[in-house]
Amino acid sequence: MKPFRYRAPLSIGDAVKTVEPIGEGGQGGAFLAGGTTILDLMKLSVVSPPSLTDLQKLGLDEIRWNGDVVHLGARVTMAQAADHPMLKERVPVLSEALWKAASPQLRNVATLAGNVLQRTRCPYFRDNISACNKRNPGSGCSAMDGINRLLAVLGTSDHCIANYAGDFANALLLFDAEVETESRRGERTIAFDRLHVRPDDRPERETVLAQDELITGFRFTLPQWARRSHFVKVRDRESYAFALTSAAVALDMDGETVREARIGIGGAATVPWRAKEAEGFLAGKHLTESVALEAGRMAFAGATGFEHNAFKIPLGQRTVARALLETAAMDSAGTGAGSN
Amino acid sequence: MAKEIGTARNRIDGRSKVTGTARYCADFAVPNPLYAQLVVSTVGKGHITAVDDKAARSVPGVRAIYTHLNSLGVRPAGFFGSGQGQAQQSWRPLSGPDVKFYGEIIGMVVAETLIGAREAAAALSFDYVTEPPAVTLDSPGVTVEPLQRTELSVGNVEAGLASAAARVEHTYETSANTHNAMELFATTAHWQGDDLTVYVPTQWVKGFQSGLAKNLAIEPDRVRVLCPYVGGGFGGKGSLFTWTGLVAAAARELNRPVKLYVTREQGFTVASFRAETRQEVKIAVGADNLITTFVHMGHELTSRPDSYVVNGTENSTRMYRAENIKAAASVVHADRQTPGFMRAPPETPYFFALESAMDELAREIGVDPVELRIQNDTDKDPVRGVPFTSRSLVECYRKAAERFGWSRYTPGIGSMRDGDDLVGWGVATSTYPTQMAPCSVRVSVDSAGEARVQTASHDLGTGAYTVMALAVHDKLGIPVDKVRVELGDSRLPTGTIAGGSITTASNVSTIDIACDRILRRLGNSDAGQVDIVAALQRIGQSRIEEYAEWIPPAVGEGGAASLRGDAVKIVGGAEKQYAAFAFGAQFVEVRINRFTHEIRVPRIVGAFAAGRIVNEKTARSQYLGGMIWGIGHALLEVSEVDPRTGAYMNDNIAEYLVPVNADVQQIEAILVPEVDDKVNPAGVKGIGEIGIVGTAAAVANAVHHATGVRVRKTPIRIENILTS
Amino acid sequence: MFSKRVSPSKGIDDTHAPKPGFSRRSLLAASASAGASALGSLGSARMSFAAPVPADQDGLVRTAITINGVEHALALDPRTTILDLLRETLDLTGTKVGCDHGQCGACTVLLDGKRVNSCFVLAVAADGKSIVTVEGLAHPDGELHPMQAAFIEHDGLQCGYCTPGQILSAIGCVIEGHANSDAEIREYMSGNLCRCGAYKGIVEAVREARDETREIGIGPREASK
Repeated sequence: MKPFRYRAPLSIGDAVKTVEPIGEGGQGGAFLAGGTTILDLMKLSVVSPPSLTDLQKLGLDEIRWNGDVVHLGARVTMAQAADHPMLKERVPVLSEALWKAASPQLRNVATLAGNVLQRTRCPYFRDNISACNKRNPGSGCSAMDGINRLLAVLGTSDHCIANYAGDFANALLLFDAEVETESRRGERTIAFDRLHVRPDDRPERETVLAQDELITGFRFTLPQWARRSHFVKVRDRESYAFALTSAAVALDMDGETVREARIGIGGAATVPWRAKEAEGFLAGKHLTESVALEAGRMAFAGATGFEHNAFKIPLGQRTVARALLETAAMDSAGTGAGSN
Repeated sequence: MAKEIGTARNRIDGRSKVTGTARYCADFAVPNPLYAQLVVSTVGKGHITAVDDKAARSVPGVRAIYTHLNSLGVRPAGFFGSGQGQAQQSWRPLSGPDVKFYGEIIGMVVAETLIGAREAAAALSFDYVTEPPAVTLDSPGVTVEPLQRTELSVGNVEAGLASAAARVEHTYETSANTHNAMELFATTAHWQGDDLTVYVPTQWVKGFQSGLAKNLAIEPDRVRVLCPYVGGGFGGKGSLFTWTGLVAAAARELNRPVKLYVTREQGFTVASFRAETRQEVKIAVGADNLITTFVHMGHELTSRPDSYVVNGTENSTRMYRAENIKAAASVVHADRQTPGFMRAPPETPYFFALESAMDELAREIGVDPVELRIQNDTDKDPVRGVPFTSRSLVECYRKAAERFGWSRYTPGIGSMRDGDDLVGWGVATSTYPTQMAPCSVRVSVDSAGEARVQTASHDLGTGAYTVMALAVHDKLGIPVDKVRVELGDSRLPTGTIAGGSITTASNVSTIDIACDRILRRLGNSDAGQVDIVAALQRIGQSRIEEYAEWIPPAVGEGGAASLRGDAVKIVGGAEKQYAAFAFGAQFVEVRINRFTHEIRVPRIVGAFAAGRIVNEKTARSQYLGGMIWGIGHALLEVSEVDPRTGAYMNDNIAEYLVPVNADVQQIEAILVPEVDDKVNPAGVKGIGEIGIVGTAAAVANAVHHATGVRVRKTPIRIENILTS
Repeated sequence: MFSKRVSPSKGIDDTHAPKPGFSRRSLLAASASAGASALGSLGSARMSFAAPVPADQDGLVRTAITINGVEHALALDPRTTILDLLRETLDLTGTKVGCDHGQCGACTVLLDGKRVNSCFVLAVAADGKSIVTVEGLAHPDGELHPMQAAFIEHDGLQCGYCTPGQILSAIGCVIEGHANSDAEIREYMSGNLCRCGAYKGIVEAVREARDETREIGIGPREASK
């Protein structure tokens, strides 16, 4: 790890003012929240920021409710949100996406904003050696013909198939959340589904955030029926593993008929992914197993498989179907699936 | 005095482990140390054309940078696998510009601080001329070497296959695995004058001592290797690491203690691993379902220079009756590091094949898989016709079957489905040869009523400390908490390498001899009935001490010489007038969600018979740990090699998956009583490795039962059973 | 609410008072060596009574951390993780390094009462905070924390290398309220890999020590007497 300057400013204004712009070697100052991504990548020499601006004295660590409007501070930890009684009751999919991620130790420090901005686990990005358009623009992609089992099948480009590794964002995406940010240019609000950008021909760019732009919180309005929501995470081992595929589902049901469905997909896409066509297809449908499987197929309609990860297409379809059926089987109080 | 052997005792070293006072090798404080950091190759084959150390040298506090251009002159210690030395592989890092595999040590940085060493190591850069490496069993450019010494032939296999009532013939594969003990491969070297103390995690302090002396061209007496606690071995710390000599040589040159942490990522390549295998198995039966013919051919990957082979056919051919037997192993030389021991090195891969094939045979002929194994049990070694010292396989099957509830088994594929869970049951046989080695110990007793046992053996978490205290207690009547056991120090009498599950059998047999001598000197030959304090008073001495050696009879000539520490003489298994093996049976339930097909093992029962059990508590833990390793081998573990480069792409323990707590639900080990008065004086068989053997096949067989998909390669993952 | 042994005093002088399980000599050496070197001096055991280096000189950051009830005044290279600090500067080697990437849990400590991977927290970011390591669990008279005792009794360990992290994680698991069933214990103890496979004994140990741990928390047994 290269030396860096450390500071822990007392205000957001100071934090965004002092973070260095990108300079030599493409490295700029970085914000330090929980540190579980940035310190990892610094230890691997994948990133070498000249400074870390620690956010721990900025507060931003509250969960607030105003009627159906929820505000999550950027520095709320994953554990704090996962265990929050209101979130567990009103929107179980968020809690579940959180406690099924990482480990208790990591969730105690990792923050919601940091988690949303979690970097890919693509081994060719992380090895700091291989050709990688994300790490070293224009160098090529070693993953496409490599060990790509964990990588994306949705949202890929000819330049990058790195997966988005997080879970929480795929659940948050269901509720049309807004991201609140602050930079030297002031505050702004970004639609959560616009925050991440697909790799296309610029895989080095992962979000629309400016380099000095700090996420301060997330805001969303919860429908009553978010109680009927659920997160299915498919992974090789039972815990402490990244998703091969995941599905975040919320259902507004009228008996056995779907009024409205929301589906987020993880583990299989380059960015947090919402399956809007499948959602539209489900509206007004009687949710049978075959309808659920059809929705799964629609969700992966545009997917591209590679040598080791093509199985994620059928697996992802089934993950969506399973999540839909398990969510539908929940009672409206939000129990019956994924409780722990 | 109540005998303690056979009861369930807490570990005598438990307190030090739960309070953090147990010092593992990286935990020893040395005065004013420098820190070393390894640098490894980032190409799979080629040679280094230039070293750029400018950036590395500019890091504050850097004291030395070693590459092949200024190597430390470490001399060879001989490749352990050749029987001619102690080293993990036959060549040494920094000995030239050639790169033989991806992740090979090509440099070492030494700095004042750990942080500085890390920074400088990251800044050291190399230019290479590269060639495409051949890194898998199928890569163009590998060379195949049949090993004549492994060939085994009984009866007429061709005739047996031709006349069979039924037969199965299949090819099975197992993947590369990495030990990933929780402890990193740390090494600290501290010179005091001409005397060197090395703290290095090892399963063989004496071998490391000898090898290091050769590395450094000094007398072995000048080298002390200390490793009182090992943070998991599993075979990965059995032979001398290539970097240990580098660290010691750097400490000598820089005249400061040097401390090295090998990173988790580097551990995937600078140490050994379990190589991938491909095996052909043929089993033929007569109309009576009895096996007539067995063929088992293995192919194992190895490095370019070293013919490392595990050849599990030595043991697979001893499992069931057969008149016609043919077996052999070949090695495939590739551009990878030299493989090495990993928990049950031969049996783990080879019993995946054998016990999968047995299940396929049971399906083929419509016989219950438990019954098939019981019917084909044999009371003599099918290869040499000699009897077993003891063999309780059938008893293990009966005990485990009863506990598991096998009577509720229905053979139809998918027939045991439970809601959204596809449920499958599978069984497999476990075995491990009973092995022993020459051993020496020193036991003393004193007028305070305390005893001390000293031997350069090891406790890898196996419970050896406690077992040895129990052995002394039962012989001398000294309370267990008054027995001090000292292990893991090369200055102690030569003990045993912690490999081949030999520790308890060899050490307890030797301790018994020493204790008997003490009793004789105290004028009392009645073990356990003597008042040591009174007896010492009677002879007017404050303390007496006995040194004893035990050479297993099968070792023959050279046994005593081997106690000088240069070589390992492990004997046992299928040798001499008896065949000596421990046996077990494992029953597994898998549950597989019918949509997403995650394979989970909610229930596993193993029954094992291994002679006399010294400490029921730690023995059970050994079995359970082995079974969990088996679950990992079956479903999770694979070191993913990029065939283009030879790089392990999951060289971390977030993506090299081992079982976590949530993967283990109901798990049970049954200790089947067994008395064996032939195997060794202690009546003990090794238990450290048998638990992993067969587990993966039991899982595979259960997966087949649940889904109808036969997966003949480990690990078995979702994509292998996901039918559209 | 957590460590009962933390002194309310923040004064440096307080560190000179003998503390259980931590000799005055080693304390001074540790604090001084970290402050005395321009590079953080990880691993240095040089004895010195020099005052801590002021903040930001040579890039060092002045940091005060309470560890097992003892306050340490340190001047640190910001790259130093809590793990590095404990092991290489303070000779608190009960905390183990298993991966250095937050993947194994061997380095788990309690930071302000919460379990964290100490390899993933910068020591400078722990300024003003309190850390409990495995060395801080047993009572000075030698009586073990109930979780430690339960790990021995249920053989929730083999090689012992992951054990300090397991025990601290187990205490954290109970305090968080995630030890209510075996299934929950298994899930919430999955951040601690045990390569030996002692999971069954670990779950039994957490179950057994749960109620007593709820009562006394992290602190030594005397707190409950």
